[in-house]
Amino acid sequence: MSNLTNTVALKVGHSIEEPISANKKNRNWFEPLVQLYSYAAMGAIMAVCLLILAVLWHYGHSAISWKFLSTEPATSASHLLESGILTPLIGTLLLTFIGMTVAFPFALATAVYLCFFVKNKQFGNLLQTSVDILAGIPTIVIALFSRAIFTHPAFGFLSTTIENADALAPKAFGKSFLVAGITMAIMILPFMIKAMLSALRDVPKTYFHASIALGTTPFHTIRHVMLLAGMPGLITGAVLGMGRIMGDTAIVWLALGGTLRMTGVQPWYGPANWLSTLQNTGSTLTSYIYFTSPAGEGNQYTVAFGASLVLMVIILSLNGLLAIVGRKRTFKES
Amino acid sequence: MAKSLEIKSFNAFYGKKQALNSISLTIPKHTIFSLIGPSGCGKTTLLRSINRLNDLKESFKAEGEIHLESISIYELKRQRDVEQLRKRIGMVFQEANLLPASILHNLLLPLKEHYRMSAKEEMAHAEEALKAAALWDEVKDRLNQSALELSGGQQQRLCIARALILKPEVLLLDEPCSALDPISTDQIEQLLVTLKTRCTIVIVTHNMEQAARISDNTAMFYLGDLVEVAPTRTLFVTPTTDICANYIMGKF
Repeated sequence: MSNLTNTVALKVGHSIEEPISANKKNRNWFEPLVQLYSYAAMGAIMAVCLLILAVLWHYGHSAISWKFLSTEPATSASHLLESGILTPLIGTLLLTFIGMTVAFPFALATAVYLCFFVKNKQFGNLLQTSVDILAGIPTIVIALFSRAIFTHPAFGFLSTTIENADALAPKAFGKSFLVAGITMAIMILPFMIKAMLSALRDVPKTYFHASIALGTTPFHTIRHVMLLAGMPGLITGAVLGMGRIMGDTAIVWLALGGTLRMTGVQPWYGPANWLSTLQNTGSTLTSYIYFTSPAGEGNQYTVAFGASLVLMVIILSLNGLLAIVGRKRTFKES
Repeated sequence: MAKSLEIKSFNAFYGKKQALNSISLTIPKHTIFSLIGPSGCGKTTLLRSINRLNDLKESFKAEGEIHLESISIYELKRQRDVEQLRKRIGMVFQEANLLPASILHNLLLPLKEHYRMSAKEEMAHAEEALKAAALWDEVKDRLNQSALELSGGQQQRLCIARALILKPEVLLLDEPCSALDPISTDQIEQLLVTLKTRCTIVIVTHNMEQAARISDNTAMFYLGDLVEVAPTRTLFVTPTTDICANYIMGKF
C-alpha cells in the first residue's frame, strides 16, 4: 500500500519539475486555437442552417398564399405557376400516416422483444445485425425492391391491376399510396427499432424488478411500466420515422408515381372514393419539388421553393413538438 | 413467538458460483430483521430469494426451502402462484423507482393489476396506505402531481406505501436509506418501527447503526455464509465470532 503511494507521489513530483513548463508553452497558443476552431465550426454550421432557411424564405415566400395551399396542381407542368400544392401536401401527410400505421406496431414489438424477451443471445445479435443492415440499404434500392414485389398480381389489391395486359402474365401496377406507405414502413423500420430499443434499454432495470416484486406479470409490467417510463424515447423514435418519410423522394418516385394529382376516382376527397385514392398514385411535397425544379419538367423556381418552405415548416414543427415531449417527463392520468 | 419466514439449509447459485451456503434462519412475526455484512456477502441474494425475484436471473438456481407461514416458496411451480406470493411479500429497493406519472398513478399501479375496484374504494386504499407510510399529510393535496417532484425521502416513502397497498405480510427492504439524507433516513426508520404491527420486516443495510437502532434481530453474512444470528442487542454487544466482532468494529 505504502509502496503505491510512494510511486504516485514520485510521479507527481517528477512531472512538476520538468515537462510542465514545456506544456505551458504549448498550451499558450494551442488552447485558444482549439477554442477558436470549435467556435468557428459551430458558427459555420449555424450559418449554413440559417442560410438554407433564408434562401428558402427569400425565393419561396412569395409563392405562399391560401390559394397555393388549397388548390390542386395544374394538370400540365406549364401551368404550374397558377396552381397549388393541395394534393402533394395531402399526399405527404397521407403517406406519413400509412407508413407510421404499418411501421409503429412492428417497430415497437421488435424493440420490446429484443429488450425483454430474447433468450438466445446469438439470435438477438443476429436480429440486431439484420436491423443494422436494413438501415444501411439506400432508399432507392428499397424502392426498386418494392417495384419487384408489388407488381406481382397477388398484390394487385394494393394498387391497380393492369387490364388488357398479357393474359398469361398479368401484372399489378405496383404504384399507389398503399404500396408507397408499406415501402416507407420498411425503410423506417430499422431506425425506429433502434431508437425505441435504446429508449427501452435506458429505463432502469429496477423499474422492471420493482413492478415484478409487486406481483405483476411481465406483460403487465412492460405495458404499464416500461413503456410509460420509456415514452419520451418511443415518441422520439416515431417522430424520427415520420421525418424520414416526409423527406424521402426515391421511394415516392418509384412506388407512388410521378403524377402530381391524385389519380383515383374523382373527386379524390369524396368519402366513397377513399379506397380508390389509396390504391392509385399521387404526389408528395418532395416529388412536387423535384417536378417543379429545374431538374424536373417544371422549371418553376418559386413554387419549388414555396413547397420546400411548407415542407420545412412541417418538419421543423415536428421537431419542436419532439423537444417539448422530450423535456416533459410527466404524463397525465389516463 | 410465531414464525413468519423459515429458511432451511438454503443454497443459491449464480451459474457455477455459489452465493449462499446452506443458510438456516427463522424470522419471527411482527419483528424487524436486519441482514448485515460486507458487499458480496449474499444478503441481497437472500432477500431477493424470499420473493423469488432472483427468478429473473437466468443463471440463478436455488436449493433448500423457504417457508412463508405454511407455503413452501420454492415448491410453487406455476407463474400465477409466484405472482400471488409476491402480492403477500412487498419489496422496496435502494432507488425509489417511481414512474414519471402522478403520485396516485404510481400508488394504484399494483391495485389496478390485482383488483377491480371502484374509484372510491381505490381512494380509500390509497389514503390508508399513504397514512401507514406517514406520507398522507404531505401529499394529500397534490395526489395528481408528478411523483418525481417529491423529495428523495418522500419518494422512498411513496414506494413503501405502494408496497403496503397490497397489505403484505412481509416487507423486504434492500438498503432503502442508502441514498437519503439523515433526516429522511430518520423518518423512514421511525416509520419502519411503527409498521412492525402490520407486517414482518426484513431489511438489508450497510449502516450498522441503523440495524442497531431499529431491528429486533440481526444476521451477519460473510462470503455467502451465515456467520452469526442473534437478537440485535446481543449481536452488537457480545458478538461470539471474530468476523462479526471485527465487522461491527469497522475493521473490514
